[in-house]
Amino acid sequence: MLLANYFQTGWRNLLKNKLFSLINIVGLAIGLAACALILMFVKHETSYDNFWQNADKIHRSHVTFSIPGRDPMHATSAPGPLIHALKKDFPEVEYATRIGGWGPTINHNGQVFVEQIKLVDADFAKMFSVDVLAGDLELALSDNSSIVLNESLAKKYFGDSNPLGQVLSLDFNFFKKDFQVGAVIADTPRNSQLDLPALILIDESAWEEQNWMFHGWFSVNAQLYFQTQQASDLDSINRQFDDFANRNFPKMPIGGDDAKASDFIKLSAMNIQDLHLNAIGFGEMRPQGSKTTVITFSAIAMLILLIACINFMNLSTAHAANRAKEVSLRKVLGATRSNLITQFLGESVLMTLISVLLAFVMVELALPFYNETLNQELVVSYDPSTIATLLGLAISVGVLSGLYPAFILSGFRPATVLKANKSAETGASLRLRAALVIFQFAVSIGLFIATSVVYSQMQYAKQMDAGFNKDNMLVVNRVSREEASNKRELLLKEIAKNPQVTAITYSNETPGNTNENNTMMRTPEMAEEDALLMGQRAVGYGFFKAYEINLIAGRTYDKNRADVSPTDEQLRAGEKFPGSIVINESALRRFGFKDAQSALGKTLITGRGDPEENLSVDLTIIGVVDDVHFNSLHATIRPEVYPLSADFGNSISVRFTGSPEQLVKDVETLWRQEIPGVPFSYSFVEDNIAELYQSEQGEATMFAAFSALAILVASLGLFGLASFTADRRTKEIGVRKVMGAGVFDIVKMLMWQFSKPVMVASLIAWPVAFYFMSDWLEAFVYRIDTSLIIAMCGLAALFALCIAWVTVASNSIRVARANPIKALRYE
Amino acid sequence: MITIKNLSKRFTTEEVETTALNNINFDIKQGEFVAIMGPSGCGKSTLLNTLGMLDSPSEGHYLFNSEDVAGYSESQLASIRKKNIGFIFQSFNLIDELNVEENVELALLYHNISKSERRQRVAEVLEKVGISHRAKHMPSQLSGGQQQRVAVARAVVGKQRLILADEPTGNLDSEHGREVMEMLQQLNKEGTTIIMVTHSPEHAEYADRVINLFDGEVVVQDLRAVS
Repeated sequence: MLLANYFQTGWRNLLKNKLFSLINIVGLAIGLAACALILMFVKHETSYDNFWQNADKIHRSHVTFSIPGRDPMHATSAPGPLIHALKKDFPEVEYATRIGGWGPTINHNGQVFVEQIKLVDADFAKMFSVDVLAGDLELALSDNSSIVLNESLAKKYFGDSNPLGQVLSLDFNFFKKDFQVGAVIADTPRNSQLDLPALILIDESAWEEQNWMFHGWFSVNAQLYFQTQQASDLDSINRQFDDFANRNFPKMPIGGDDAKASDFIKLSAMNIQDLHLNAIGFGEMRPQGSKTTVITFSAIAMLILLIACINFMNLSTAHAANRAKEVSLRKVLGATRSNLITQFLGESVLMTLISVLLAFVMVELALPFYNETLNQELVVSYDPSTIATLLGLAISVGVLSGLYPAFILSGFRPATVLKANKSAETGASLRLRAALVIFQFAVSIGLFIATSVVYSQMQYAKQMDAGFNKDNMLVVNRVSREEASNKRELLLKEIAKNPQVTAITYSNETPGNTNENNTMMRTPEMAEEDALLMGQRAVGYGFFKAYEINLIAGRTYDKNRADVSPTDEQLRAGEKFPGSIVINESALRRFGFKDAQSALGKTLITGRGDPEENLSVDLTIIGVVDDVHFNSLHATIRPEVYPLSADFGNSISVRFTGSPEQLVKDVETLWRQEIPGVPFSYSFVEDNIAELYQSEQGEATMFAAFSALAILVASLGLFGLASFTADRRTKEIGVRKVMGAGVFDIVKMLMWQFSKPVMVASLIAWPVAFYFMSDWLEAFVYRIDTSLIIAMCGLAALFALCIAWVTVASNSIRVARANPIKALRYE
Repeated sequence: MITIKNLSKRFTTEEVETTALNNINFDIKQGEFVAIMGPSGCGKSTLLNTLGMLDSPSEGHYLFNSEDVAGYSESQLASIRKKNIGFIFQSFNLIDELNVEENVELALLYHNISKSERRQRVAEVLEKVGISHRAKHMPSQLSGGQQQRVAVARAVVGKQRLILADEPTGNLDSEHGREVMEMLQQLNKEGTTIIMVTHSPEHAEYADRVINLFDGEVVVQDLRAVS
């Protein structure tokens, strides 16, 4: 009966104070919805690869090359021979498998496809608890002529017919081979760093000619996973890795006689569940997550919820004045304090439950945009555990934010309240409210600063001159496949004829392609062991002109001059003649040349062929070009050389004007006609560059959105609070008006009242925001000036003041314009 | 000082029109002490608010120092009000968040007076009403009588020539009521014009003249009319 009464008063109170209820419910719903969205993201990000049966015992080895004068190079792949050494030296390693990738062409029923095939070792089947849908995985990975397909590929090639025993013919460019489907596995879940569309057993003998693939100690082409007997074995293996590297790696050609492998090479291993958020380096199969993002988003979720709870507390206590009479009457009629606390807690839980329902609606509405921005496929799962969690969250939020108001309200003394007909609010509760408002503003200001710094850095990255023209550049891929390679000259000539095309070139790498390719180089004056590690990108004729890269001195490659260096075969046959080389400004400095002009005509020596052959070639510097950002601004520009690749290139780059669609159509028609055996593949440089920042961009957008939400929720609360405060001060304002204060004086006074917390909040937020944001910027090699953060701080405070003023102004003006006698008479 | 001619005040709501003051006429001279009496709802407070320029008449003339203010705008009224008129309320109307000194200073705050002069005048007037030892106390720490003394101090600190008191003793016991009345009498002797609304015949005795209102009309306007 009492409960029904509570519910009735609660419900009526909710309806009676519409503004108060609306702000509380909507504010809390936004808070809960934002929190739920973020938690879904965080849950997904932290669940990577934890579904493997032996997840705690499966680890991946990483390698870092630290070469003097260069940023350390982190790879998530390992040298091919490492697996054998690992199994030999560490008895605690039970199983190990490499997972390398290759994209062979598959000719099937007259159609050609290119598929990502994973090359694995036989232990794979014992380590990874993949869902086998048909066939025998272990059997399929025990012979080198079987292939394992995932469900999607099996459907793609064989439809509804049984794929087992069917044959696919794979062209690896270096060799062709038929494979029989031995098993079908489920598609790899989204929350895995692994991507396993198809598996075949590594047959090292098939790759003998490409010995860098599985035999080179200084070439990393496949990831290496191993399973230990105990989860704790990882630590001891990590501790022994230096000695292990010194025992197994061949002598590096640098550092002199005393140098050890561990001076330049650091091996490490990480548990598979940690890879998504913690691994550093190139060579991942799927995009990585960011631990910073997960932590930041979690923090924002907590803050938004906290702000919404504070609103609830502040508005409830401010609102208390209006309910003092009810409380007192209930007490006079025999209610105990605990009765009242139960009543008020019940009311706040009722409000949170309504918020939860609203929050669900908000989440469902926001999810498509959220997924698109973050490139995720998150869904709300309405299973009992999720619902229980959310209800639990709602009830704890309700209790948490209702507890303080409940204690304040239930503490009113009826005699005082009924006699004076006013609230008995204490100074302590007023001070607490002021402190909470300051906290909300500090959070809002901090988030504003953070968002604007992130946004500025993004803009900076977008607008920074990368050193080449990324617009209107089409990249045609797969040019190095045998069939296409044979027709390269024809392609170049035919595409160039298109009236849309203004320049054309070919190269091994294009901007946005983050492959690490390096070579040792020295001047004739340098000792062999002092040779320097240079990044290299092989380019074709016309590369610099097509990409509009600035030439500082000299010239670029010219078909009519003897720029081509001798091939390995020519060198083996004893032919020795110099080739040409173009270098960048960083390389110029690294070699110690005085300036670009003086470097021209100088010789650089580099090794060729297999190390034991001891072949070398002399290259004459013919040109020096500007430093160019081929990769994201996270990385410094490498000292780089651009050797001429006269008759080989992975891709053709086409500079064009006019409609990209038309050009793609024309080029595709030409390609299909000339190279029917290789599927056409293209991209635009602009998109490839944008892709480098895609996840950052999405996260920055979400960060901005969540910050805006936090600020919105805080403003909602402030609006409610301002309206209560203005009402509470009605009498004071009346007295002041009688004393001669004008409307402007009153508005000014109320505005100032709300400006003070903003200023105090600014003083709190500034140093914190500065600390975190300058730290965040550190991750970018090329970044906005730190002093810009200070400007953002000022801007944020101004912004917060404006928000406070706008929020407070409407209430203030209303109260200030009211006739004072009313206020004074009814007091 | 004040001449009221044919003054009426009507309040209109959606359904009814109430005549609070109906065709009122009287004069008040500089230095007079006038009590306004009458039963509840007779229009005393409305009259006082009109005299205090917190409310405008619906009809008639209100000559304040020979100036007809009846049609003045709110800001014009506010300007005359703050120079000339001090208010004392039944419920004191002190601001809870300000201490005694600050409450009194409030009346000078909107007058372009330097801080040092404000401080000096506040100190003088607190001395005068005998509450200077409580200058730093908050209103809640004072008795009703003390609070009303602060309100009196606030009403006169601006050297206002007219004080409007709306039942200044209504919330006080007889002892404190008498104190406040003596204080008002003293101010009147020093030249301040006082118009006071009261229910108490005893306190009306302090006035030179009583205006009796009934249903919005002046029924008796005579010295010691009630005695």
